[in-house]
Amino acid sequence: MKRPTSVRGELVEPRIRTPVPIRPSTSLGRTGVGMWTICAATLLSCAPVPAHAQSVEQRIAAYQHRIDLLEDQNAIEDLQATYGYYFDKGLWNQAASLFAPNGTFEYGQRGVYIGQAHVQRAMLLFGPQGLAAGHLNNHMLLQAVITVADDGMSAKARWQGMVMLAQPGQNGIWGVGVYENAYVKQKGVWKISKLHFYVTAETDYDAGWLKSAIPMQGPSALFPPDKPPTEVYRSFPGVYIPPFDYKHPVTGKSLADIPEPPDDVVGRK
Amino acid sequence: MARHPISPKSVRPTRTVFGFAAALLATVSVSAVAQQTPEQRLDALDKRITRLEDMNQVEKVQRAYGYFVDKGQWTQLSELFADDATLEIGGKGLFLGKKRVLEYMHKAFGSDGPKEGLLANHMQFQPVVDISPDGKTAWVRSRAFVMSVGGWGLPLYEDEFVKQDGVWKFSRESGPFTMYSSWKGWGHDALNNTWPDKFDPPPDLPPTTVYLTYPAYWIVPFHYPNPVTGKPFPVEPVGAYQAPPGTPEQEASRKVGRLADGTQPIAQPPRD
Repeated sequence: MKRPTSVRGELVEPRIRTPVPIRPSTSLGRTGVGMWTICAATLLSCAPVPAHAQSVEQRIAAYQHRIDLLEDQNAIEDLQATYGYYFDKGLWNQAASLFAPNGTFEYGQRGVYIGQAHVQRAMLLFGPQGLAAGHLNNHMLLQAVITVADDGMSAKARWQGMVMLAQPGQNGIWGVGVYENAYVKQKGVWKISKLHFYVTAETDYDAGWLKSAIPMQGPSALFPPDKPPTEVYRSFPGVYIPPFDYKHPVTGKSLADIPEPPDDVVGRK
Repeated sequence: MARHPISPKSVRPTRTVFGFAAALLATVSVSAVAQQTPEQRLDALDKRITRLEDMNQVEKVQRAYGYFVDKGQWTQLSELFADDATLEIGGKGLFLGKKRVLEYMHKAFGSDGPKEGLLANHMQFQPVVDISPDGKTAWVRSRAFVMSVGGWGLPLYEDEFVKQDGVWKFSRESGPFTMYSSWKGWGHDALNNTWPDKFDPPPDLPPTTVYLTYPAYWIVPFHYPNPVTGKPFPVEPVGAYQAPPGTPEQEASRKVGRLADGTQPIAQPPRD
């Protein structure tokens, strides 16, 4: 009996198998001598040039550069995912170690903390090191849009953050927000240079958004931030669009001029 | 059919030279590679790198779609579509062309920009991306988790993308629903689906498939074969109510509310 299926014929037989070469065990990406350096040193333009017009050496350099950028993107994805796993479990020391020495940490309207030591101490505002019993601090990271700079030395990314919180004696909290983060490659290792979590909304687990909107916390009096919040906004029921770091993926136009919604409290028309 | 413990395909001349592990890695013999000119090998490399870049870019377009939905950026969202793209969400029916995508969004959800007191986050994840051998078409199966003032939702996507002048765009977005419920949760209530005249504007064409969401289900056809066996497999075009297979309940549920061709009609709007 013939059953309907929508499997694309192109993806079935013959299966497209590309040869897998045996790779050398060393990775130039980790040594800090990125192929871009070689690319630049040999005065090659990595701008698109018809493949047949390039020498073998030019093509190798161009392809190594493209592979470098792919590996950079994967490394950043791993780095940010790892931050999430550390942060969830209150491993503040490990989480802070993922930041560049002058990296910044900004969560909601709490203000900006600068440098690994301040970042780690600021995280204590979320609970003790190692996460106390009965606490849930899950910050799930998904929907990454990562843009690596063409020189392979810095990157930016937007992430979706889904949040589930709990403390003993309190009701659970659902939350959601957007990360606009930046990264820097130092000595071949990617680090967080800016972590900025824009809280979109938080609500009581049982009540839901129609009945409960938990406002963001402001700057701490216990351990004040190094700088005030970079942007002033309200979470739900207020609305705000964290500025996009990337260009529109189809039109290529900047998304920086998307108008922010009005807010009578903030005074934004 | 009797199965051989070792597939004949895995026996290759290179196996004795490089050992078993290397044979697993090498899918073409070394001599075949050696016969290629450096240019030919670079051409092959270029194709593989391009495929990886294409997969990343297609994921990016799908994710950008989600961020635009979250903030009501309907004009920007419509720009993700090719001029002749199609859009079908839930049981609403088909919208033809980029202009109609924008009309749909503006009429159904209002002007561009997020609205105070409104939350409609469509968080995108779990993508399975494939690129056609010629590099001009791509497909994504992925899903969204919806957190909204109305409650919870689970759309699934089986989308198609086209590469035009080096730029990947949606050529077809299909977003059938798995489950939609109020904040009280899917144990309490669930919307069985949307339908063409549930809200304006009406679609250009009726839904491609008529199905019900949770507690019924529909297995959305997969664009790709089983990644391990490499073979497509049959799925019933329309699923049944959840009950253990083989039980009388499941057999009965397969006939309830169905038309002669086995599809399920769209339910009447719920009465509050």
